[in-house]
Amino acid sequence: MASLAFLALFIFVVILAGTIFLDPSTLISAFFSDEIQFAIVLTLITATIATVVALIVSIPAAYVLSRSSFPGKDFVDALINIPIALPPVALGTALLIFFTNTPVGIFIDNSIVKFVFEPPGIILAQFSVISVLAVRLMKPVFDGIDSRYEKIARTLGHGELDCFVRVTLPMARDGVFAAGVLAWSRAMGEFGATVTLAGATRFKTETLPIAMFLNLSLANLENAMAIILILLALAVSVLLVSRKIAYRGAIPS
Amino acid sequence: MLGVVLGVLLVARVAPFLSSTQEKITVFAGAASAPVLEEASRIFEARYGVKVELRLGGSGSVLSAMKISKTGDIFIPGSPEYLLQAARLGIVNITSGGVRVLAYLVPAIIVQKGNPKNITSLEDLARPGIRVGIGDPKSVCVGLYAKDLLERNGLWENVSRNIVVYAQSCDATAALISTGAVDAIIGWHVFQAWTPDKVDIVWITASKIPRIAYIAGAVSAFAKNKHSAERFLNFLTSNEAQALWIKHGYFATAQDAKAHAPDAEIPYLEDLV
Repeated sequence: MASLAFLALFIFVVILAGTIFLDPSTLISAFFSDEIQFAIVLTLITATIATVVALIVSIPAAYVLSRSSFPGKDFVDALINIPIALPPVALGTALLIFFTNTPVGIFIDNSIVKFVFEPPGIILAQFSVISVLAVRLMKPVFDGIDSRYEKIARTLGHGELDCFVRVTLPMARDGVFAAGVLAWSRAMGEFGATVTLAGATRFKTETLPIAMFLNLSLANLENAMAIILILLALAVSVLLVSRKIAYRGAIPS
Repeated sequence: MLGVVLGVLLVARVAPFLSSTQEKITVFAGAASAPVLEEASRIFEARYGVKVELRLGGSGSVLSAMKISKTGDIFIPGSPEYLLQAARLGIVNITSGGVRVLAYLVPAIIVQKGNPKNITSLEDLARPGIRVGIGDPKSVCVGLYAKDLLERNGLWENVSRNIVVYAQSCDATAALISTGAVDAIIGWHVFQAWTPDKVDIVWITASKIPRIAYIAGAVSAFAKNKHSAERFLNFLTSNEAQALWIKHGYFATAQDAKAHAPDAEIPYLEDLV
């Protein structure tokens, strides 16, 4: 009980500290400034794309990890846990080195898609950080779905993919949705990998966390606080929306 | 049992860093002077027993950190403009005697070793396909000077189209070229001395350089330990320290720097010293 109170107080104080610095007119002028408007839109777009791609990759990956056994499975399981323990700035640095110092990376960066110091780098950085998180979050979801449902569907003549889409996925819906929301939130707040790979260029690769960093380094505390409040507001709305959706079609347990 | 032993060893290893009984001063400095400040602070601590904590970064960023935290004994930006900004904020006092000029810096083009893109002049930076990086003009001295240099030569519009990234400190700017992330940067001449095996320097035509910078330091209004702070600044201008600046590739006198830019202005020198 005491630790819950402590946590709630901690969050309240952080929010309160933000509002003390601001009067509403500063907040509104900061919110409508070109720089922050750009940052909001860029962050929403990149985080959403990164999350969609991450889910496309990680849902099947989590399913396979949950259901199948194959030689080297333990190794793969351990391998995909590594990026979670790695600091994002290290991930970003690894990507930067890959694209600028290896033949394959240089080819991709010059001839296919430019990632280094460009907006696609934001999406790649976010994707790298959230995709393994998504797999880790969804594997227990598939673990918790009794495979007998799929087996019965198979005996009734449905193919593997059909089973997955029409039997397993609907049952995993809430877990996948929760994982997606968490991954999206994490992508919205991604800083270390993004700033290393995509740079901190105003009006080009300036996401909300990067905008906060740039404003702080210029001692623009009002702008920095406004960005904190915007990110908080986004976090709260995500939580509210996801609770609404989760309870709307709730399957009684 | 093993855990207890490891725990004790860890604490013993870390404890010296946690103890606060030793006298200390904090120096907020632009990353341009990092190599010399690091060596000088080790010598100073060994000799006088005063710990010197360095907070390095873009000159504007460290100034902001001082402003927000209201701490710091010494401020040593990479160029005088930031010293003046600090004075305007009341963070340093620049009346005569307070400011020490430590070393001089000349802007230059730094390219990858072997100059694979064959960049020989400022104009070459505007060539299509060349990827250029500079420091952030808003918070990094060398970025401010790079933009000024390009503007005064009428090249800002063309070259800025090739600028793909704005680094947040001198060392980040230097790293852009030493890691091969860009084709060229406008940096301080001394960057070449930092990673001579990875980069080459392309001196800018003397007549094109409007001003050269100098690293200067002053004791801050927030100083808790003014005596030791003054002592450290004096040490940085001593003959012994001058040899350090030269060893690390800086220009110790205005004359040496002006050899590469005879007509360049050295801003505010008379006002500050």
